[in-house]
Amino acid sequence: MVSLRFVAKRLLLLVPVLFGVATLVFAILQLSPGNPARAIAGQRASEEFVRQIERELGLNDPIWVQYGRFLVEVVQFDLGQSYTIQRDTAVSTILRNKLPITLELALYGQLIGILLGIPFGIISAVKQDTITDHLTRVGALSGISVPIFWSGPLVILLFAQILGWLPTSGRIDAQRFAIEGITGLITVDTFVQGVQATLESGFAVSHFGPFFSAVSHMILPAATIGIYSMALISRMMRSSMLEVIRQDYIRTARAKGQGAKITLLKHGLRNALIPVITVIGIQFGSLLGGAVLTETVFGIGGIGTLLVEAIKVGDYPVVQGTVLVFAFLFTLVNLGVDITYSALDPRIQQ
Amino acid sequence: MSTETEMGSGRTRGVFDRLRASPFLSDLLSNRLALAGLVIVFGMTAIAIYARLFIDLEAISLTQFGANPPRAAPGWWAELFGGGATAATGGLLEHPFGTDGQARDIFPRVLYGAWYAMLYGTITVGVSTIAGVGLGIVAAYFGDVTDNVVMRTMDVLLAFPSLLLALALVAIFPDGLGLWRAVAALTLVYTPRFARVIRGAALAVLEDEYVDATVALGATDPRVIVRHILPNCLAPITVQSTLNFGLAIIDLAALSFLGFGAPTGTPSWGLMLSNGVEQGLLTGQWWWSFFPGLFLAVTVLGFNLLGDGMRDALDPRMREAID
Repeated sequence: MVSLRFVAKRLLLLVPVLFGVATLVFAILQLSPGNPARAIAGQRASEEFVRQIERELGLNDPIWVQYGRFLVEVVQFDLGQSYTIQRDTAVSTILRNKLPITLELALYGQLIGILLGIPFGIISAVKQDTITDHLTRVGALSGISVPIFWSGPLVILLFAQILGWLPTSGRIDAQRFAIEGITGLITVDTFVQGVQATLESGFAVSHFGPFFSAVSHMILPAATIGIYSMALISRMMRSSMLEVIRQDYIRTARAKGQGAKITLLKHGLRNALIPVITVIGIQFGSLLGGAVLTETVFGIGGIGTLLVEAIKVGDYPVVQGTVLVFAFLFTLVNLGVDITYSALDPRIQQ
Repeated sequence: MSTETEMGSGRTRGVFDRLRASPFLSDLLSNRLALAGLVIVFGMTAIAIYARLFIDLEAISLTQFGANPPRAAPGWWAELFGGGATAATGGLLEHPFGTDGQARDIFPRVLYGAWYAMLYGTITVGVSTIAGVGLGIVAAYFGDVTDNVVMRTMDVLLAFPSLLLALALVAIFPDGLGLWRAVAALTLVYTPRFARVIRGAALAVLEDEYVDATVALGATDPRVIVRHILPNCLAPITVQSTLNFGLAIIDLAALSFLGFGAPTGTPSWGLMLSNGVEQGLLTGQWWWSFFPGLFLAVTVLGFNLLGDGMRDALDPRMREAID
């Protein structure tokens, strides 16, 4: 079991990192060119109006006062108002709407990566130095080397343009179905919608039309991210498995007369999975980075496209909020990985 | 460490003999995948240098209306499958990679892209290696407060997903800097990775008794660092640089792809890909984005194959497994 002390210690260590993250983001905002008051007022506003906004925002205060105010606001999840993208809307509201879109994409990508990567890694390790192993390894290295903004367009070309099996872009067939729902996760929302309709008026396939549309829109982008994640996971799984199956306890288990498959799954996989979990956590960060590119390629309006647009138009509160949220998520995932890791391998806690 | 002692005592032997005696190199060269990586990296470097010397950047950056048809399929593709009205007419080898929306021949542009990738990749990885190695060694050597200040700062930088931090940093620099702002942002993002690895390696070297011995003999801090710690950290530095080279090339292209890198018209792979995807993909001109992406992927694969092979050759556990 994970001791509470260990968790508390990890949480405490998180505080300086998050403080540093907030400081860095504040610094980036301060160093960015352009006057925020001018951005809000618009190019043709009078000088006096700009001055007034500057006073309201406290932009003339000493920098340490602004810094203190920023920290207090961040702790209260107040990330300011958008300048241009959605004028006068709280950045936290925008992020709350967009975050599920990106998270859903990243989670499905991760799921594909795990479901394919782990078996591939095991097969590669068990069949070490055979053709299967070589092919899997080269495949995995290629998966890491191929940029998402190339593999994405290629799968669009093949599956959407040439074969016509799947839609090119977007999240749902917007001409036929409206996006509505509570969670913001489109596959969940449309599924719930279908179930509700079924409860009201009996089962009909058409009730699940939006759900199927959402799923078919999810396949290509999730697979594109998933290929990358699969490559990383299968590589780690292979080397970890290779190390584990040379251990004495595996030989002991086999000597007891336990079958090869059971030994492999019961003793081998359980121990070999530990470092793989770390990789899964660490690469969640690159997955979020990958989501920026994937969203751009597939025209999905998540947090990634939001960030790119915000940088282009100079909507700094949005840039700041997005980056903060991403860093926060990334740090939390790493914390989760640390705790899982120590639950699986209690030696870490010492 | 055995490599080091051999090299130290073998001053009189020829360089070639020493190289052959090195278990690292013989392992690396007997690994077919690593060798393939090496060939790709050398090949791309050769293409980059060729492009820089013999391809006229001005000529391939300007629109070529009149001289070439816009959006023409590669000659061989048009011969085989037909390219409709936009097909080139000059036989199989006319525009082997097709032409883009400005009627520019894509082939020389893709070759020139190798120069951009290699040049800016080298600068990004080079500067962040130097900075990271410096910070890592200083943190390990002086320990205590220095170590904490340096490494906690690195932790903060590592708390961001790398591409996102690069994007946020890019926002600081003025547009006019072009690819240089991508280079500057990525250098800041990559430095902590090197610092962390090198600090670990340097701490291991500091455990060795010869370091104590040189200090006891009265060696100054800079001397110990430069003469003893640095040379013994070269192996992890090299592996880390090689693996990150591939990533740097992808990230540079990614920033260009998103519009925060190379200025319009530059023959950089990321930008060509972005134009090709935006304007050519849905209208069937696959070649526009395909070839820049292919070169990008192959180059990155080369660095990854090489870096992987190096890591295996340096890992003593793997060596046992090979023997």
